[in-house]
Amino acid sequence: MGATASQLGKDLLSEYQELTFLTKQEILLAHKRFTELLTREERDLNLNTRVPMARILTLPELKSNPFRKRICYVFSTSEQKDGSLTFEDFLDLLSAFSDSATLEIKSHYAFRIFDFDDDGTLDRGDLEKLVNCLTGETDDTQLTPDEMRQLINNILEESDIDKDGTVNLSEFQHVISRSPDFVSSFKIVL
Amino acid sequence: MTSYSNRGFFNPAYHDSETLEIDKRSSSKPHHANPYAGEDPYRNWGARTELTDQTPRYDAEQQRTAHRGGWQEESWRGGEGIPMGPVSTHQHDLHYSTFQIALDSQYDGSPSIPLPSSMSGNMTMRWRGLAMRRMFPNTDPAHVAFTEDAIRNQMENEEQDRVNELVAMSTRERIRAIRELPMSFEEKKHIRNQVQAFSRKPHHFTIFEGCSENVSLSMRRCGYSVRSTRQTLELWHGIMKEIGGKFGSSVLSYFVFLKWLLMFNIFSFLINFGFITIPLLVYNHTPNVPPNVNFRGLEILTGAGYFSYTVMYYGSYSNETLVGLVEYDMQLAYFFTIAVYMVLCGIALIFSMASSFKKNYTLADLASNSAWQLLCSWDFSVTNERAVKQRTNNLSVQLKESLSEKGQRELLTLSEKVMHFGVYLGSWLLSTGLAVGCGASIYYLCQYEQQRATDAASWSLLQEAETLLVPFVVSLVNLVIPLFYSLFNKFEHYSSQRRQIYALVLRNVILRMSILGVLCYYWMNVLPDNFSCWESMVGQSLYRLVIFDFFFLMLGSFFGEFLSNVIGTRLLPGLGVPEFDVARNVLELIYAQTLAWIGIYFSPLLPAIQILKFFILFYLKKVSLTQNCQPPRRSGRAAQMQTIFIFLLFFPFFVGALSMVAYTAWRLTPSEQCGPFRGLNNTFEVVGEWIDGLREIPGSEWAVWIYQHVIRSEIFYFLLTLFILVIIYIFWQVSQGRKELIVLLRQQIVNEGKDKNFLRDKLQNLQKSHPEKHPKQKKQKGLTKQRSDGHPSGGQSNSNAMVQALLARQQLEEEEEGRSIEGVPVPSDISTSSALIQAMMARQRAETHSEGLYQTPGEHVSSSSTAARQRVDGRERSTDEYGSSAIRTRVRAEAEDLDYLPASSIMMQAMDARQQAEEEERFQWVPAPPQNLAPSGSSALIQAMLARQQAQNEFDDGY
Repeated sequence: MGATASQLGKDLLSEYQELTFLTKQEILLAHKRFTELLTREERDLNLNTRVPMARILTLPELKSNPFRKRICYVFSTSEQKDGSLTFEDFLDLLSAFSDSATLEIKSHYAFRIFDFDDDGTLDRGDLEKLVNCLTGETDDTQLTPDEMRQLINNILEESDIDKDGTVNLSEFQHVISRSPDFVSSFKIVL
Repeated sequence: MTSYSNRGFFNPAYHDSETLEIDKRSSSKPHHANPYAGEDPYRNWGARTELTDQTPRYDAEQQRTAHRGGWQEESWRGGEGIPMGPVSTHQHDLHYSTFQIALDSQYDGSPSIPLPSSMSGNMTMRWRGLAMRRMFPNTDPAHVAFTEDAIRNQMENEEQDRVNELVAMSTRERIRAIRELPMSFEEKKHIRNQVQAFSRKPHHFTIFEGCSENVSLSMRRCGYSVRSTRQTLELWHGIMKEIGGKFGSSVLSYFVFLKWLLMFNIFSFLINFGFITIPLLVYNHTPNVPPNVNFRGLEILTGAGYFSYTVMYYGSYSNETLVGLVEYDMQLAYFFTIAVYMVLCGIALIFSMASSFKKNYTLADLASNSAWQLLCSWDFSVTNERAVKQRTNNLSVQLKESLSEKGQRELLTLSEKVMHFGVYLGSWLLSTGLAVGCGASIYYLCQYEQQRATDAASWSLLQEAETLLVPFVVSLVNLVIPLFYSLFNKFEHYSSQRRQIYALVLRNVILRMSILGVLCYYWMNVLPDNFSCWESMVGQSLYRLVIFDFFFLMLGSFFGEFLSNVIGTRLLPGLGVPEFDVARNVLELIYAQTLAWIGIYFSPLLPAIQILKFFILFYLKKVSLTQNCQPPRRSGRAAQMQTIFIFLLFFPFFVGALSMVAYTAWRLTPSEQCGPFRGLNNTFEVVGEWIDGLREIPGSEWAVWIYQHVIRSEIFYFLLTLFILVIIYIFWQVSQGRKELIVLLRQQIVNEGKDKNFLRDKLQNLQKSHPEKHPKQKKQKGLTKQRSDGHPSGGQSNSNAMVQALLARQQLEEEEEGRSIEGVPVPSDISTSSALIQAMMARQRAETHSEGLYQTPGEHVSSSSTAARQRVDGRERSTDEYGSSAIRTRVRAEAEDLDYLPASSIMMQAMDARQQAEEEERFQWVPAPPQNLAPSGSSALIQAMLARQQAQNEFDDGY
């Protein structure tokens, strides 16, 4: 398990291929990009080196994404919940965002990314944060509280099938399955 | 705990449980001091207790609060601080505080669990646990840890079930299934290892198995490498990414479509070149050009002259059987290559159309402006900072629009409606009239041209240049008329943007179809009578059309994009920078491709021109896009538009081209002087002759028979059609049935939601009505539980009951598995929701108990411990001071049967058991006969609840 792509072992590579939706090229590319994020000393360590979130977010693919921090938190297996990623976490991320990932995988991770307070369901607070994330932080683009309330009411009316005031995973997946643009847009390519 | 793990160690089924995984690992890595890894948790905790024995009870509480650094702890324990009643015995105190410490060390980021699998397992577990916990919003947060423990068990069970499912699958399916688990990499690896360990064991000694394993492994490797090569061959990866990053996926879809068409053309070029052209070139490589014809340069535009004697067109292919190493019948080769190509194209189109349709249409929502649609269509592939900002702006505008639209769904007056209708009618009439007019004028133009043209071997330069008139006019019409259509569109008021686009697309399609229809009619009916080698003439016309179409595409992107950019930025800033019109551009591509399909019979190498054209077009459009355009303002339904375009490509255009080629092959007489089919009445006769030839070869009677009785018989086609119709009808019925099922299921979800809310409200009301009686009672109950179970519990809350229900279930399954000798685990039938209901019941019961206690303080201890015991948990208790063991065993006995019953009846039984238990309590332990209620879903549940409540009231009244 060395630092360069050529040293990514054959067995390891086939394991990665088996467990993710990525092809060999993509995995090698991911490895290359990941090692570029490591400092010189870290490169000599094994693959389990964690790269802090701040450095992950320097990747141009994530830099301007409004959900970048959530993405890191969701895919991080770190105990400190600091959003740092190992190489395998990174592969997970790319696999979920790859072209060949299934709708189920994509919607599962989308749900977790949108679930800002990590309580397993999208409530009004989450939805509000989601809308604010998407409309930007500046005042002229943000919705007024009144509009926000109405929008969230619309959203819940549309998707909250069991009328418990929140959107749970299966309701969310139902919504996703009905918006066909999701699969093509939930995509990050290295 | 001890017996659990020991028994599990020898039971293969238990190698799946996470606890054991930790056990095994920690024995190999002794430095991990996992609190769960100890042989005897009791002893561990006991040892720690020595240190903290004297600490005040609230210490633990504080300690815990202080340790809140974690990720979840904050939200989980956010609302703590429920006052605890005074502790009755020292022993209880001891257990309480020890548990807290164990808990803290486990969950607050201490180094005791560095194992990746257990940690990531924790994460998913927490996440799931949170989902479960939400069902009890008011619960005491201090108790969460205990819930977590129960949920952990639950998770283990689920994992085990999953592993069992995976073991039963074939290797390929298993790999796919594991890959599709929504888990982190470590967890997937963990599960895969378990599954592999599990599935190899039974048959690792058979050689055959080993072989097949190896074969499948190498096959898989091979598959991966194929996938990889495909990726390497992926054209324009970087450019595509750049476009997607800047303009989003809807514009990208144009380029994807372009690339897809390019692939089609490369394929068709390869097979045409390989099977038709190369044999001819090998056999006779000098083009058969008359001496007075030479290359003049204009041929590149007109395709006439010198080109008409090369392999470019139909006319220069021979009808001979080429005799080289093998005999190669040119006629057959030509016919079958074209036929196979058309069929393959059709199949590819049908498949991609069907899959795209399935994905994007059947499930899709019809409400166009729903908020979710907008929120879900955020493009994660957009990476450009400015583009992101622009998108957020656009999205906010769109959201606001959707809100205002919803707010004031305008009601049109009659006169307005009539006016709108008039405008629609007018613009449709006008656009259809334009299309028909264009078709007619092109027909007359063609006739005029035909009158002037002569069937001469060589044309003068002027004559050759005159042939350019038709393609020029056609391309001009194609460029200009759509602009008029866009203009009409501005005057119409469509309720949604989608309908507007559809109207525009439909008009453009009508225009192009009418033009192509007229041209085809002219080629089929007029040309054969006037030219000796008419197929080549058609080929030339198509060549010219393709070339001119290309020029006009370039002009179009110059005028459409560059000029409007200049005007928008310099002259009239109000217009703004243009957007890339995906619909118009894709229609242009479709038109171009149709020309190539029609031309495949007349000019087999036309795909080569097409490849070149698309290749240049890609770069041209890319440059034009990045220089002149801005990202689209509306995030439209790119995926659905894509489906529409594939459908359009298939339906009028490909089917039109196919029927034209088929008509030519079946009905028209090939020209007599040139081409591979000279001398035949129609092209299809080639097959008949071939079959006649086959008759003489012995052993090929079957082919002749098939030809005679299948291909040429009407009955066969009649039966085939009938069969397909029947199948279509059956599938249609099935889909109708599914639709009904969907409606029913939806209704069921709504009902369950109502039930859930109803039950929750009832529970909350009950909770509110006896707030002051809880602490003491709960405390004692919890402590009893703690002592009996070995599972420590912190604060006492009602969520305890849920945990207990879960635990009870857990234990049941455990017992089940303990009994089964081979260790084949029995998957649980009880769904989470039934567990939830059980939990709610248990909780309510806890409350009613406390009520009872309040009224009969004398029996305090006795009934509280009964309450605890009825929850099926006692395992290592040796004594039954209060004589309630009868109940306990009965509940358990009943519960053991539960696994074999469907969930609803389990629910009923659980309730029955409780009801019974209550009755027994009421009658001073006189056993009552079990009641058999008919299990009928959730309404029965509510009835039973009410009945129980009534019973409870009576019970209270009795005191």
